[in-house]
Amino acid sequence: MAARTRRRANAMAARTRRRANAADASRRRRLPMRLTLPVLLLAALMAMLMLRGYVHSEILADHRIRPEAASDRVPEKILDGGPVIDTRGGRTTSLRVPDRHVVLTFDDGPDPAWTPKVLDVLKKHHAHAVFFVTGTMTSRYPQLVRRMVAEGHEVGVHTFNHPDLSYQSKKRVDWELSQTQLAITGAAGIRTSLFRPPYSSSADAMDDLSWPVTEYIGSRGYITVVNDRDSEDWRKPGVGRIVRNATPGAGKGAIVLMHDSGGDRHQTVQALDRLLPRLQQQGYTFDNLTEALNAPSAHTPVAGPGLWAGRAWVLLVQAADGVTGVLVVGLAVIGASVLARFALMLWLSVVHARRVRGRRFCWGRPVTEPVSVLVPAYNEAKCIENTVRSLTASEHPVEVVVIDDGSTDGTARIVENLDLPGVRVVRQENAGKPAALNRGLANARHDIVVMMDGDTVFEPATVRELVQPFGDPAVGAVAGNAKVGNRDSLIGAWQHIEYVMGFNLDRRMYDVLRCMPTIPGAVGAFRRTALERVGGMSDDTLAEDTDITMALHRDGWRVVYAERARAWTEAPESVSQLWSQRYRWSYGTMQAIWKHRGAMLDRGPSGRFGRVGLPLVSLFMVVAPLLAPLIDAFLLYGIVFGPTQRTIGAWLGVLAVQAACAAYAFHLDRERMTHLVSLPLQQLLYRQLMYVVLLQSWITALTGGRLRWQKLRRTGVVGAAPGAAGERQAA
Amino acid sequence: MTRAEATPVAPDRAGTGAGRDRYLDLLRSLALVRVVVYHLFGWPWLTVLFPSMGVMFALAGSLLARSLDSPSRSAPSVIRARLRRLLPPLWLFGAVLLTMMLTAGWNPLKDPDLGGGWTNCSQLLYYVLPIGAPPYPEHLGSASGLLDDTWAEQAAGPLWYLRAYLWFVLLSPFLLRAFRKWPLPTTLAPLALTAVVGTGLVGIPGETGNAVTDFAVYGGCWILGFAHHEGVLARVPRYAAVSLSCLVMGLGLWWASGHQGPDGWDLNDIPPAQACWSFGAVLILLQYAPSWRELPGGLRRWDGLITLSNNRAVTIYLWHNMLIMATVPIIDLAYDLPFMASDRAAGLLDSTYGFWMFVLVWPLIAAMVTAFGWVEDAAAGRRPRLWPNGSRRGRARRRAL
Repeated sequence: MAARTRRRANAMAARTRRRANAADASRRRRLPMRLTLPVLLLAALMAMLMLRGYVHSEILADHRIRPEAASDRVPEKILDGGPVIDTRGGRTTSLRVPDRHVVLTFDDGPDPAWTPKVLDVLKKHHAHAVFFVTGTMTSRYPQLVRRMVAEGHEVGVHTFNHPDLSYQSKKRVDWELSQTQLAITGAAGIRTSLFRPPYSSSADAMDDLSWPVTEYIGSRGYITVVNDRDSEDWRKPGVGRIVRNATPGAGKGAIVLMHDSGGDRHQTVQALDRLLPRLQQQGYTFDNLTEALNAPSAHTPVAGPGLWAGRAWVLLVQAADGVTGVLVVGLAVIGASVLARFALMLWLSVVHARRVRGRRFCWGRPVTEPVSVLVPAYNEAKCIENTVRSLTASEHPVEVVVIDDGSTDGTARIVENLDLPGVRVVRQENAGKPAALNRGLANARHDIVVMMDGDTVFEPATVRELVQPFGDPAVGAVAGNAKVGNRDSLIGAWQHIEYVMGFNLDRRMYDVLRCMPTIPGAVGAFRRTALERVGGMSDDTLAEDTDITMALHRDGWRVVYAERARAWTEAPESVSQLWSQRYRWSYGTMQAIWKHRGAMLDRGPSGRFGRVGLPLVSLFMVVAPLLAPLIDAFLLYGIVFGPTQRTIGAWLGVLAVQAACAAYAFHLDRERMTHLVSLPLQQLLYRQLMYVVLLQSWITALTGGRLRWQKLRRTGVVGAAPGAAGERQAA
Repeated sequence: MTRAEATPVAPDRAGTGAGRDRYLDLLRSLALVRVVVYHLFGWPWLTVLFPSMGVMFALAGSLLARSLDSPSRSAPSVIRARLRRLLPPLWLFGAVLLTMMLTAGWNPLKDPDLGGGWTNCSQLLYYVLPIGAPPYPEHLGSASGLLDDTWAEQAAGPLWYLRAYLWFVLLSPFLLRAFRKWPLPTTLAPLALTAVVGTGLVGIPGETGNAVTDFAVYGGCWILGFAHHEGVLARVPRYAAVSLSCLVMGLGLWWASGHQGPDGWDLNDIPPAQACWSFGAVLILLQYAPSWRELPGGLRRWDGLITLSNNRAVTIYLWHNMLIMATVPIIDLAYDLPFMASDRAAGLLDSTYGFWMFVLVWPLIAAMVTAFGWVEDAAAGRRPRLWPNGSRRGRARRRAL
């Protein structure tokens, strides 16, 4: 019945899907691709991390140890018997090692530092031993297990990650055994039938809780090997002491417990080097277990699928270890560069703010001549009236040119019906924003040209503040300060924070470094001669504003930031609108960087921009955000598996740094701090959205995909520059 | 800034108008389903996924504020009307449950957990007016019997909700007045109270202590219901509301991480975490309340079930746990079926037992709705209905075509 229900549900879902496809086929088909690749990448990264955590005992590790229990249900003959316990097929027998035989056993390995030394000493004295290896260590250091088997030692299972088995379910015990066998097979191409439980000692220490586990393991075909003599080398009691502990009484045989892993084992190695010759002189031989018992070998070679599964496992673990090693280094680099960037930004924005806010600072002679304001508009019926009216209220003499780019909602007529003095409308067939701006430029009468968006509202002082830097003849273009008007929604508040930080920290830094990458389309001013020298706006890229700014840099013009030239713009209100806007920006920026890559080899100002500006911009805007998902992947991993407290602490630390930077940016812009309350959430949701967009741009760039023009749906929320802003300025 | 600009008499989103707010109905249905699933499987993470009780109290608070708002009704009459609607379903449930427990051999006079004697037997009066949670024996029958020996506890367990609801209803006239006078302090006061009584800082013994703790834990949600009705939530900028709720929820999770109960992250065992998490989640859910006149496209197919579960919320809530218990003997019958003789078949049933309980409990609930649901109508003074899923005959026929 359940199956039938499911089938019906699937059929229903399929029907719904088909209908949806018919409705908007092109958009739907695009959606999966842009999500699948980033999601796949992140999933692969998480899987790698988890595999690594698993073989490093960060996941599923269980460090409980059972206290001793009663032993009335353990058979007498086991308690009194030898250390080799055979419970296979219902047997209950135990064996001892014959006289003048010592079987050395090493637990918890292999260890990359000490196991080779132990093996060297054994080889030097022609001795064989038994290594009870854990699955985690075998997976990480398979070549050592291969060497053990090749040199005649025996390998036994010491579980996968060393839990006290009396706490574990049968399922977990089975899994511990099979997973370790898989690793051993992958490492050395064999299976083993020897087993030693973690935290075991001698046969008389069996109790009512460990005995059933031993019986169960016997039923899985293993011989359990405990010990007669515990060298207690893990206590590091001194070489002499270890030798004394390991020496059996007068000619008797013994299984001796030692460790080749879990800490500094140089005492163990030295003790071996002393113990082996001494006992050999007394006529002892050092064999592996089956040799000592004169039994068939505990190893069986594995071939076919089992062998390949093991090898695949070992290969995967090696890959995960390698990849995560690289990632950890990458993370450290990112962390350092993020902090360095914050420091640089803070420092340079302080420098910039001090400089332009100094009492005697001026750009040159005051600029008072009239300027042309170009307003490219495409279906801006909702906003255009507010935009144009805000311009006519300007304190600076302006000529307004609205370029209607083939709007279908009567944008041009709305402006014409306003019948405002000094406002002209130029119509053109729909040809895109760069073409509209070039047409506006051709129609503009003045030497300084201000460009803005059709959805942006200026303050009365904006144009005046924006053009003052042209008093300096070296300045070719000026970036204004775009502010988010609709900031009370969550997504609006996030963009508000982003804008305030971007304009008050990033742009000041770029200004000082003379490599401002973008003059925002919402508010920027250009010297006509500069524009004409670089050939006007171009539609080579999706970010014509970035493209033209870079072209101006290459032509040797200075591009500066005018903080008091505020423009109020309406930020996207939905995730999908924000997505397409940012996709256009980030892809356009990449296109622009690629277009101007030649600057790196140029001479003069172009070369300076190419060798300083371009790498900086690429690093901060294109490369670093690409690695940002790493931070989140490690954060998630750390919270779930790792040191949770410390991970969250580190995250909060970075958040505090960011909050401090943001607070400084808000202070510079005299903004109310209340919006900063959404900063933590921004770090958890918004930033990820941004890098997924960037990742998508990368994929588009690498696969050579094309991007259609996506236009924001406007609601006309931003009606006028808030009075508060004007008051602040007057004060 | 936004707050100062808004007029004091804001248009009311939730309250006015004849139709129900289907968004709130949807939330109530989700909460009910979540409660049933949680009681069935006992997965602790469900309490984090959707804080059902907080949502239910917030919705009830919103509705009560609406009733208290009506100019034609006095506060005592509103409370009387609420009690009249609440109590008859409880009396019916109590009568059935008490009969079952007494026939099973429970003697409240001798129950050591109640203290024994006549004085403590007065607790039985809670089945009539649940000022405290009605009493029940912890173990009844034997573990090998038809039902688990904790069946009485399971069946009567959800009754604490009625006690908490009653407290809220009785106190609402004062709470609403306080909220209108000091909105922010009143909203935060229950959280502060939780910090005192829910953290072990101050312990109040006995049933009073439970009542005060529940009041504190869910009081914030109840008052958020007021805030939603009064239109206050709509005036708080969304970024601030959402960001602050997330901070409060984070605080709750942080507390929970250090004070895990016997079931780990089960927030029901961790009052401060439950209070913070529910408060934050309810604030977000109500902040985004779209105030639907009817359900949007994809949800419309659930319209009937949502209407039904809202009309029979008390019945479903009261009876669901007893019905979950009742699925066990029914499923056990399956072991006697001829094709179930093999170990493998029995093992398969063992491992899918929870699933079958889940499948079976809904028909049982449906049966209970038809059997006893009419009491809700009778209590509200409506014409009793058998299956009030809102569909009229004509619409049903059209859909059948």
